[in-house]
Parts: sequence; structure tokens; C-alpha cells
Amino acid sequence: MSAKKPLTVETISLDLQGATKEAILAEMVDLLVASGHIRDRDAVLKAIVDREKRMSTGMQNGIAIPHGKTDSVDCLVAALGIKRGGVDFEALDGQPSNIFVMTVSPDSRTGPHIQFLAEISRPLNDAAVRAKLLAATTREDVLKLLLG
Amino acid sequence: MFSSEIRFIFQLGILIVCTRMGGYWLRRWLRLPGVLGELVVGMLIGPYALGRLPWPLIGPPFPLSATGSPVSPELYAFSTFASIVLLFLSGLETDLSTFLRYSVAGTVVGVSGVALSFFLGAGCAVWFGLAPGWLDPRALFLGAIGTATSVGITARILSERRKMDSPEGVTILAAAVFDDVLGIILLAIVVGMVRTESAGISWRHVLYVAAKAFGFWIGATALGLLCARRFSRFLKHFKSAPAIAALALGFGLLLAGLSEMAGLAMIIGAYIMGLSLSRTDLVQVVQREIEGLHNVLVPVFFATMGMMVNFNQVLPLFKVGLVYSLFAIVSKVGGCGLPALFCGFNHHGAARIGVGMLPRGEVALIVAGIGLTSGAIGQDVFGIAILMTVITTLLGPMLLTGCFENPAPGLRHPEDVAKSQSKVIRLDFATADMAEFVLARIVRSFRQEEFYVYRLSPDAWTYHIRKENMFFILECDGHEIQLSTAAQYETLARLMVAEEMLNLRSMLHMAQDHVDLDSMEHNLVAGLFGEKEDFQP
Repeated sequence: MSAKKPLTVETISLDLQGATKEAILAEMVDLLVASGHIRDRDAVLKAIVDREKRMSTGMQNGIAIPHGKTDSVDCLVAALGIKRGGVDFEALDGQPSNIFVMTVSPDSRTGPHIQFLAEISRPLNDAAVRAKLLAATTREDVLKLLLG
Repeated sequence: MFSSEIRFIFQLGILIVCTRMGGYWLRRWLRLPGVLGELVVGMLIGPYALGRLPWPLIGPPFPLSATGSPVSPELYAFSTFASIVLLFLSGLETDLSTFLRYSVAGTVVGVSGVALSFFLGAGCAVWFGLAPGWLDPRALFLGAIGTATSVGITARILSERRKMDSPEGVTILAAAVFDDVLGIILLAIVVGMVRTESAGISWRHVLYVAAKAFGFWIGATALGLLCARRFSRFLKHFKSAPAIAALALGFGLLLAGLSEMAGLAMIIGAYIMGLSLSRTDLVQVVQREIEGLHNVLVPVFFATMGMMVNFNQVLPLFKVGLVYSLFAIVSKVGGCGLPALFCGFNHHGAARIGVGMLPRGEVALIVAGIGLTSGAIGQDVFGIAILMTVITTLLGPMLLTGCFENPAPGLRHPEDVAKSQSKVIRLDFATADMAEFVLARIVRSFRQEEFYVYRLSPDAWTYHIRKENMFFILECDGHEIQLSTAAQYETLARLMVAEEMLNLRSMLHMAQDHVDLDSMEHNLVAGLFGEKEDFQP
């Protein structure tokens, strides 16, 4: 996978506004629309919500990795959002989630979907990286932190 | 009488049928490596045994040629091609990443084993009067023949006992890479020296030939590894897997020819081409496509080597052969085991490593075959080499299995034991059927992520999964599935399996809620034993 290319400054938000899980997901999908590779916003949102219904992607330490597959995207797209104060995302540890990494990839095409998700979320295992991410003041800083 | 072409076709047919059946029965009844069966079949049907007797319809299938050569030129050419394919695949299977990760222990163990094997092998020739001095071709060949471990045999045992990624397993695999490379460089030097023997052998000459062989090796390998990615991109243009594999092998043959022109053995070029591709993600594609060719060719190669054994020449030297075999055992068990004691292993680990490095196989036979056909060694020395290969191949798996019976850790310090363990995900299912079903789903999801998934053997549910530097071992044993990988890829492994388990749950729900399995079953069996209309679901 060419190092986290799908993630760009345009698909990063340092201050998500949504106060519920659904609102956060919709806001993140809107960020993805900015990538220009999405043909049907609602189909993408449905793919993400359907995946969340099967099992929440809220992990531990404030991390959530909502993702889905749909042919309404041409290629793998990714977004990253930060929610100040966090939001209830039905996370594994029961804590509010504040860092969201969203990926959507074409359903009928093979490609490194989970691999990308794993690569981008691996640095987030490190508490220091998470702290820096939450303290970042520009989207460029976030990108630099994750691209290493 | 038949023309030489028809005789060759008969010979090939007999060899393929007899080696396959012989290998199968030996493996099934005595649980011995197939290579032994193939060698023994070759000895039995060769020109020094049954092959010179007239068979019904076809007469003697393997007569001695007019020049006294035990195999026909056609069969020899075929067997040379087989050895090139074999070494091309050996290069392809070389796990450079494991080698680099465990390079310190691997290098120490590999170098020490090669040095002692070469010294004791060549020494055996000198001490027992087979060669007048250390620089005599017979001494050099007996030294070189004993150096390369046949890691395939050890790898199968490690895989069966799930020890492939144990500290001992990775050290053996890393050492075997070094050992193969050193063995092949040694062969290059020995062949170079023998070919220019008329010029007189001096230490200066040895250095010159060694530098030339080493130079070709390093130059070609460095170029191969540097261009591997570009070469693999070029191959991928051809889209179809058979075309990619055929092109890769074709280039392997070209490099083999070039290395022969440079005064080295052909197998060296083939090995370098395989090694260059081993770091690309085309490995599994090429392996899978060439597997069929390999399955036909390789038994013929081993049997041809067996056919060249002249019992009359070997019997007088049988005792020397046993001593040479004993030296070959000591040189690996001691030469690899003792240094392992200084690399953090205790005596259990050192014994496993020493025994794991014991089997010699394809490289030893190829080197011996080159020595015999070039006239550098006689049939007596060749016979000794075959005896050693048979004994070490026979003993290696038995001893290694015994060494792993004791579950004691092989590392000296418990904290090293904890650190060395790769991350393992285990899933236990209610039935073996269910485990196999989920295994197939996991394999499919890795393929969807564009990983190359390669099943190690049709007899076992063990897969190697690879993309770029990422490597996973997926195994299914009865009810249990196990996925192991290095710590840095654990997140990916967990996410992959978790997604597949979710997919499985959705499938089961859908099957229950949306598919009328009852009427599907009824429709399928209705009417099987009567009129469909009589049946009321």
C-alpha cells in the first residue's frame, strides 16, 4: 500500500461537531465526499451504518475505525476526524471515542482495504501519538504524525 | 531396435511411473522422505542393476552407453534441466526476510556448519587416500558436497510440528539460506578450479577463481535484488499467471546459460534468478505455476542420480563412505549446534538446530552429479556422496522429530523465550468441518486484500500468506485455526479475522432468516425415489 495516500488534508477534520454516533458517521462521510471519489453519499453512509450495526467499530482508548464496502466509491477513500470531548460510540471499553478513522472501498474490487485500516491505526496504539494527535492544531500536523 | 528418441520416451515414462510409485509407497509405509524412494528406484532400475536386463517388449531400458556413460545424453540433458528448475525454485523459496531478521545466529550457525563440513569432507578424501592433497578436485568436491543442508526436509518436519516460527525453526531457516549460498559459491569455486586444472592449481589460482566466482555471485545477486521490483512489474504486464511463471523460468534459464559461459555451473544462475524474485510478491504465483513441472521433473532428477551409482565401484569404499557420512553428521550437528549454544540457545535448542541442519539433498546430489560428469570425481566418490545423502536424509527427520518430542524451551533465558514468540491468534470451533470452512473464508479474504496465499502441501491445511514484507502462517488442525505473524502485523491479522467472523455471523443469520433451507432441501430430494408430485413438503 502506498503510504496512506487516500488520507489527505481535505479529508481531515480537527473539530467534528456531531454529538451522536449517527451524526459523527454522517459528518465523516461528508468529509469523504470532499475526496471527489464518491458517487452516492447515501449509499456510502448506508454501507458504514450497516457495518456498525453488525458490531461497533469503537475500540479502546478513544479510537474508532468505522469502515465499509460499496461500489459507490471508485477507489479506497479515507478520512480522519477528531471529536473534542468524545462521543458515545459503543466502544469496547465503554469510554467515549474521540479519534475516528473512516475507510470505504469498492465492494467488487480486490485491494488492500483492511491492510490500509491496520496500517493507519497501528500508530494509534501509542499513547504519545494519540496525545499529539489530539493536541494538533493543523490538519497538516495530523497528516505528518500518521505518515511518520 | 528403437531410435534414441523412442528409447528416451520409454526411459522417461518408466522413470516417472517408478519414482512416483516408489516414492509414494516408501512415504506411506516407512514415512520416509520421497527423495529417498526416488534415489533407491533410480539405483534399482539403473544400468548397474535391473536396467541393463531385457524387459518384455522394450529390451534393456537403461543400457550403458557405448562410451560407458550410465545415462543417455537425452536423459542427462533432461536431468540437467530438472536441476535448473529445482535450484530456481530453491532460490525462489529462500526466505531472505527471515534470514535478515535472524542474521546473527543464522550466519554464525551457517558459516560454522559449512566450514566444518567442507573441512571434514575434504579431509576424509585426503586422510583415506582418495585424493593426494587438499587442492585435488576429489577432495574439493567431497568437501563441497557436504556443505549444503536440504532445508526442505527439515522445513516439512518443522511445519508438521508447528515449529516453523520457533527460535530454533527460524535459526535453521536463516542458517540454511547462508548455507545454500555458501555451498553454491563453493561449488562455483570448485568448478572453476577443476575446469582450469591443466593450468596447475596454486593458492594464487584458488584465490583468483574464488574472487571471480564470488564476484559473479555478488554482482548478479545484487543486480537481481535491485532490479527485482522492476522486473516483477514488467512480468505483471502479462497479467496471466502461467505467462508470468513461464517468463520467470525462461529468464532463469538464460541466466543459467550466462553463468555457465562465465565459467560457473548453470544452477548458480538459476538460483540467483529465483533468489532475486524471492523478495517480490510474485513468489507464490511462480511457485504455484511451476509446481506441476517440478513434480514431474524432480523425481526424474533424483532417480537419474541414483542410476549413476555403480555398486561395483562403491562397495570397496563402503567403509570410507560410512566414515564420510559420520563426518557429515558430526560436522552439522557439532558445527551448527555448538555455535548455537553461544547464540542464546540451551542444549535442547542447540541439538534441534544441529539435527535440523543435518539432511543433505538436492544441492549435494547436483554438486556430485556435476563432479561426476565433468570427470572431476570418479564413480567411487560419487557413490560415497550418494550414500551420505541417503544416510543424512534418513536420520535427519527421525532425529529432529525426537528432539521436538521434549517440549522444553530451546532458549537459555526465559525472557528471550517470551520475546521470541510471534503473535498467534487461535480460534477453536465445534467441529473440524466448521474450522475448515472458516479457514477457506480467511484465505479468501486475504486474497481479496491482494495477498499471495500459498498452500504448503495438499496433505496439510497450512498456508503461507505473503505480500511485500508481510508474512503470515495460517494453519488448521482439527477444530483449531491458528494465524501467526510478527508483532508489527498483529493489528492487521486481528482485523482480518474479526471481519471474517462478522461476515460469518451475518451469513448464518441470513441463512436462518432469509433462506428457506427446508424447502430447498425438500426440492432437492423430492422425486429422487418416486414421483415429485407425491411429495408434500
